Amino acid sequence: MSITVKAERREKRGKNSSRQIRREGKVPVILYGPNIDNVCLSMNKKDLFGILKTETGENTIFKVSFDSDKRDVMIKDLQVGPVSDEILHVDLIQIAMDKEIQVSVPILPMGDPVGVKNEGGFIDLITREVEIECLPKDIPDHIKVDISSLHLNQSIKVEDIVLPERVKMISDPDTLLVLVEAPTKEEIVEEVAPEKEEVISEEEEPEVIKKEKGEEEKE
Amino acid sequence: MLMPKKVKYRKQQRGRMRGYAWRGSSLSFGEYGLQALEPCWLTARQIEAGRITISRHIKRKGKLWIRVFPWKPITKKPTEVRMGKGKGDPEFWVDVVKPGKIIYELEGISESIAREAMRLAAHKLPIKTRFVSRESKELR
Repeated sequence: MSITVKAERREKRGKNSSRQIRREGKVPVILYGPNIDNVCLSMNKKDLFGILKTETGENTIFKVSFDSDKRDVMIKDLQVGPVSDEILHVDLIQIAMDKEIQVSVPILPMGDPVGVKNEGGFIDLITREVEIECLPKDIPDHIKVDISSLHLNQSIKVEDIVLPERVKMISDPDTLLVLVEAPTKEEIVEEVAPEKEEVISEEEEPEVIKKEKGEEEKE
Repeated sequence: MLMPKKVKYRKQQRGRMRGYAWRGSSLSFGEYGLQALEPCWLTARQIEAGRITISRHIKRKGKLWIRVFPWKPITKKPTEVRMGKGKGDPEFWVDVVKPGKIIYELEGISESIAREAMRLAAHKLPIKTRFVSRESKELR
């Protein structure tokens, strides 16, 4: 089932009109894609939340309608305020449903590793998303990775992933995904003499990078 | 204590702390983080105090990332010295932290432990902070 979202074309550009749009509860949007002209739009924030809350999240394919025109699009980029967590701007990319696209899909680790249950380790998720190539209709919500058999210091790489049909992996096969790590033992050294360490390090000054004599003469 | 190994110039001007931290404002490594909500000069001592607090609370389990580094030297004149005669000597090192900057990140522990560790570390910092996690992030 495809979602259709209404958008309005915006004529004015710049921060003044963008702020005006945000005050009205909307988000400034730009739509682009191969072989089309860029279109500046504004969308209702609630519609955008509806798209982001679906299982596919940012990889959701939906239709955007404006000026009696309907196009298949996907979210390419989201600008979010660092403190306010407010959506400031959205990039939409027009996609052709019959052409393969590259998207990043989240990894979903399944099961409790043996190394965590019995050997006292902890899970370190090193890579959370992998890049895949497939047709828009075949984009998976997530890629499941079974980690239940991992012992301490064992890991799973991209090459170990079993991909769904008609999906190609783009990420480097040697990329580490999940590692079961052993707890570190660093605290003991610091507790012996933390103050002494502080005094020594503060008196020291870093080395100043100086120009070589030849370079100075040239100048 | 954290400080650079090499610098191009021994002393820097003070600068200003306007705007938000657009870079380094989202979780990059861990599941949980401590985010600054105010601008400040975060000294190497404060960063280290927070780090020690977190690593003691999580008891060697989990993994900690420090996303700030004190690059900026701060100079000070000795006490009872008349004004003039040049800038003082470098006294300590700070990082310029702007609102939104993620200071610490944690991974491999439960949310309740991470939350408490970050709360304790926040008491060592001179600014207001908030706990952030990947799951609980809600866009507005």
